[in-house]
Amino acid sequence: MAKEHRAGSKVRGDKLPAILMANHLLEGDVVFLADGGWTLDPSGAKIAHDAETAAAMEAEGKAAAAANAVVDPYLVPVDLTTTGLPVARHFRDAMRQKGPSVHPDMGKQAEYAPIR
Amino acid sequence: MYRYDEFDERFVRERVAQFRGQVERRLEGSLTEDEFKPLRLKNGLYLQLHAYMLRIAVPYGTLNSRQLRQLAHIAETYDKGYGHFTTRQNLQFNWPKLKDVPDILDLLADVEMHCIQTSGNCIRNVTADQFAGVAKDEVEDPRPTAELLRQWSSLHPEFVWLPRKFKIAVTGAEHDRAAIKVHDIGLKLKRNAAGEVGYEVIVGGGLGRTPMIGKVVRDFLPKEELLAYLEAIMRVYNSEGRRDNKYKARVKILVHETGEEEFRARVEEEYAKLDGPTINAPEEEVERIAAYFAPPAYEDLAEDSATLDGARASDPALDRFVEQNGFAHKQPGYIALTIALKEIGAVPGDMSADQMRAFADIAEKYSFDEFRVTHSQNLVLPHVKKDDLPAVYAALKEAGLASANAGLITDIIACPGLDYCALATAKSIPIAQDIAKTFADPDRQKAIGDLPIKISGCINACGHHHVGAIGILGLEKGGRENYQITIGGDATEHAALGERLGPGIDAGDVPGAIEAVVETYLAEKQGSESFIETVRRTGAEPFKAGFTAFIEARAAAQSEAAE
Repeated sequence: MAKEHRAGSKVRGDKLPAILMANHLLEGDVVFLADGGWTLDPSGAKIAHDAETAAAMEAEGKAAAAANAVVDPYLVPVDLTTTGLPVARHFRDAMRQKGPSVHPDMGKQAEYAPIR
Repeated sequence: MYRYDEFDERFVRERVAQFRGQVERRLEGSLTEDEFKPLRLKNGLYLQLHAYMLRIAVPYGTLNSRQLRQLAHIAETYDKGYGHFTTRQNLQFNWPKLKDVPDILDLLADVEMHCIQTSGNCIRNVTADQFAGVAKDEVEDPRPTAELLRQWSSLHPEFVWLPRKFKIAVTGAEHDRAAIKVHDIGLKLKRNAAGEVGYEVIVGGGLGRTPMIGKVVRDFLPKEELLAYLEAIMRVYNSEGRRDNKYKARVKILVHETGEEEFRARVEEEYAKLDGPTINAPEEEVERIAAYFAPPAYEDLAEDSATLDGARASDPALDRFVEQNGFAHKQPGYIALTIALKEIGAVPGDMSADQMRAFADIAEKYSFDEFRVTHSQNLVLPHVKKDDLPAVYAALKEAGLASANAGLITDIIACPGLDYCALATAKSIPIAQDIAKTFADPDRQKAIGDLPIKISGCINACGHHHVGAIGILGLEKGGRENYQITIGGDATEHAALGERLGPGIDAGDVPGAIEAVVETYLAEKQGSESFIETVRRTGAEPFKAGFTAFIEARAAAQSEAAE
């Protein structure tokens, strides 16, 4: 059996800025918390720059999980590109933002604009 | 091949209906994720990094063309047009939607397939030698045993909530291709001095974070006593296996902590208490199952085929394919072929829907409508007439399935790793692709000879790295992917666990490190020794020296570049 809970990836140092990532219950796809709902587009993720916003987003994620919209929401520390888009600091989360490295034709990287 | 009877059919259909109801209740909110998760896992449905993943059972790795065509249909209709064969002879789809899974399970049931026993703490899908019924060194076909175990273990009321998952492998041959010494239970069909057939029973092998070689608990178990004896083992495990710590819950830990002698004594004590005749399968049932695996209607042929010999003489590529991927068949005039899903640069074990259809046609036309999945993530056409081989080769080539590298350094086992898996700590597939590209030259591969490389992207060891002649384990170290290299592992009757060569290295250094290890082998090799035979003779020391020299040269080059 898979491990009991999908914990966030281990990231050292500052946990901010951050985005909130989860899986869509029905589809299984990775989704990101956005302003007023969830988005499939990694560029559309809402970014928490302070602890208070991060905590509020985490609470929103838990509520969405309890309401059976998403599974396994967790905060993901990110760096920002020059255009202000979030890039996950941990390579595991970055893989979830893009899709499998061995299949550039599948996943987010095939369906949405790359984060630059 | 085994065909479902009315009970099998009803059982599988009921399970689909049951799961359909569970999915509905999950979607409407009356089941929480915590409640639903164990239910979906019992039907092979995982949630991975990007999507759900459905693991389909391929009992003892045997499939027919109708089933493969259905898998192709599912891949195209509900997934992204491909499937992935695993190290447990199963097939995984990487992109199904939860809402579609009940329909997928119905389509599987239409061709006598399901996802039961592919997850959870139960007796998992039983695996077997891919050359079952074919190999010349076989005492008896292991598939009837595997099928009997499938029927016995499916929803066995005592064993639906074991301390941890439980894997059984069976071989009927002298040469072990089923890795029975690294399973929870390994069974080897053998003959005793009186010529009777029975089993050698091995318990407590396994890989994962605590790898162990299994211990022989019974040197010879009369064939008819199988189920009662296994029930005794399962009872000891079920009552004494640890449930307080999932990392210490496998039977290998129980055998290790109890001690081989004491564990054996407890099993025998439990066995003495059991009423064997009420548990063991009746003889007529064993015969009924065995009849499904009767040899196909072979033609009476000469051992050698002039057609094949002529074609091999005029086509060097065919000649190389037969030499490398051919396997001697017990029936004169026939040959078994390994279809390596290991084209240079491909994802090990992946097969497209188009390839599935093409291969289904080939199996139907040329191999009595049957093929096998191997734990090396390859396929086998078990019964090909040598006269047909040139035509089979042409058809395989057309489908991109004629890679002539079975068993060679580019025939690499790799788990899905961080490209898909929620448990992975590092990528696995790209490492395999890079090594394959490095050693792509067929002449170089041939000069190196048999060399099983096995790669896992985390300590759970789905890629069997502990038993790779060269094993590679991907971990996370300081926020980066880091790879440990071992050598000397062996999954055969000479089972051994690999030994680490030195500190972990970056992904980009792995192909170079493997080249250094191979250079050491070619320098140390005596006569016609294979890689593993050389390691067995020399030990790991010369390889550690070669590896260390490589690391030092890399470090020197890097610091020079930095200046």
